[in-house]
This record gives sequence, C-alpha cells and structure tokens, in this order.
Amino acid sequence: MFTLVIGGAASGKSEYAESWVMRLPGRRIYLATMKPWDEECRARIARHRRLRQDKGFETVERYTNLSGLELPAGTNILLECMSNLTANELYDPEGGGKEAILLGIDALLGRGRHLTIVTNEVFSGGTAYGADTLRYLETLARVNRALASRADTVAEIVCGLPNFLKGGPQP
Amino acid sequence: MIFITGPLLAGKQSYICAALGLSLDEFARRAVWDVQELAAKEPDLPALAEALAQREIVIATEVGGGVVPTDPEEREAREAAGRLSCLLAERADTVVRVYCGLPQVLKGQLPC
Repeated sequence: MFTLVIGGAASGKSEYAESWVMRLPGRRIYLATMKPWDEECRARIARHRRLRQDKGFETVERYTNLSGLELPAGTNILLECMSNLTANELYDPEGGGKEAILLGIDALLGRGRHLTIVTNEVFSGGTAYGADTLRYLETLARVNRALASRADTVAEIVCGLPNFLKGGPQP
Repeated sequence: MIFITGPLLAGKQSYICAALGLSLDEFARRAVWDVQELAAKEPDLPALAEALAQREIVIATEVGGGVVPTDPEEREAREAAGRLSCLLAERADTVVRVYCGLPQVLKGQLPC
C-alpha cells in the first residue's frame, strides 16, 4: 500500500501522516531526509522528534540514494519529506540528480511494505522565481505527480484535515 | 464555531454570507476574519485559538502553499498561521474550505 500526503507549510501534514501509519499493524520506520544544515533545521528536526515520540517509530536518517538503503521487508515506512529529498538529490555533493529520486522510491516499494510519503505543496505562491528555483519546483512537481499516479491514496491536508484526491480513509 | 479557510480571494466571505443569509453588517458582527495575520506575533497560539473559538465564524486565508520564503520572519509567520489554522480546525464544529467559490466540508456539516 502506497499513500501520498501533501500539504502546505504547517498544514498538519506530518501529524496526519503519522496517525495514518499508526493505524497500520507492524513495525514503523521513520525515514528522515532533512539534513541538519543549520540551527533552524536542527530545531525543526527536534520539533518533529518530539511530535512523534511515544508513537513507536524507529528513526532512520538518509539524505540521498534511497535505492542503496537496506530496510526490512514487511514494515511501515514513513518518508518525510520529499521536498528535502529532492533538494538533497539535486544540490548535495552526494546527490544522484533527479533520476535518483524515483529510483529510490521504487526500491522502497514492494517486499510487503507500506510506504507513506509526505510531500509539500509549494506551487501556489505565484510564478516569479529565478531559474534555479523553477528547476527545483519543476523536479518536485514531476516527482509529486509520479508519486500521486502510483499511490493508492492521495490525501491533501488542509488545517490538519484530509481532502482525499485519490482513494479514501482507512477502513 | 464555524471555521472557514481557503486561498486568498477564494470567496470565503461570500460563501458564508450566502450560506447563512447574512448581510454585510451581520457578517461583520458575527465573524472574525484574516486571523492568519494574528498568528505571527502571538507567543501563545493555543490561547489565541481558544479565544477565537468563542466566536461564531472564524475565517483564515491559507498562506502556506508557496515556496518557502527566504526571509526568516516571513517563514515564521507563515508557519504560525498554519499552526493556528490546525488549532482552530480542532476546536471547530464545522470546517469548510472554500476553493474558487465552492465549499468543501472537511469536518462536521454545512450550517444549512
């Protein structure tokens, strides 16, 4: 089962995705993709760790090359988030470029796993961006569309509440 | 409390006025709007949400859907606005998102 959770800044998407994964039986792995570049990133990471403490997630940090990552079969994986992973693959010296993103997702899918991905809605603030930003946006948009096309469920999160664009709530 | 959200100029006020048959005067008396602007300088968002939840109609514009701003204050303001909306939605009986003038009920039932 593959679920895509999308929302804007502070839309409640992480909390929703966590509660979605917590309703699935079995081991839960939180695949964290944000590199702790600076104080703000570290504070953000700490906040997310606080939010998911006591929810039974094992945290695995991985910034690039998900296809080289060994994770156990039959687990529930929550990947957070696609906007960071995309930036890492595009701009990090260790990044594998845009092709590496979907290859990594292919590697995570299968082997009886449930994959839930959190991604960002960053496309509703106009079009007046520089070439670098547009290139990033185009890559993330293509990734989002590819993920949404493959996903069983796509939930857009608005103030913490789901708007199902594909599939529906868990039974 | 009815919480209405949606993008800028999506028709949030027009929708609730039509749905409840409110004149503009009644709207101004019964509703509070642009509450996303209150979030930026508020050190205690849950307290603000609690106070707003006492009102009948609360309206917030969605501001978190653009590229992450490079300015730290703008970034913080946008996040605070998003968190306030989540807190309001938790406290609301009804949450309606208005998108190009069309209402979508995310929680509870339409007031009419």
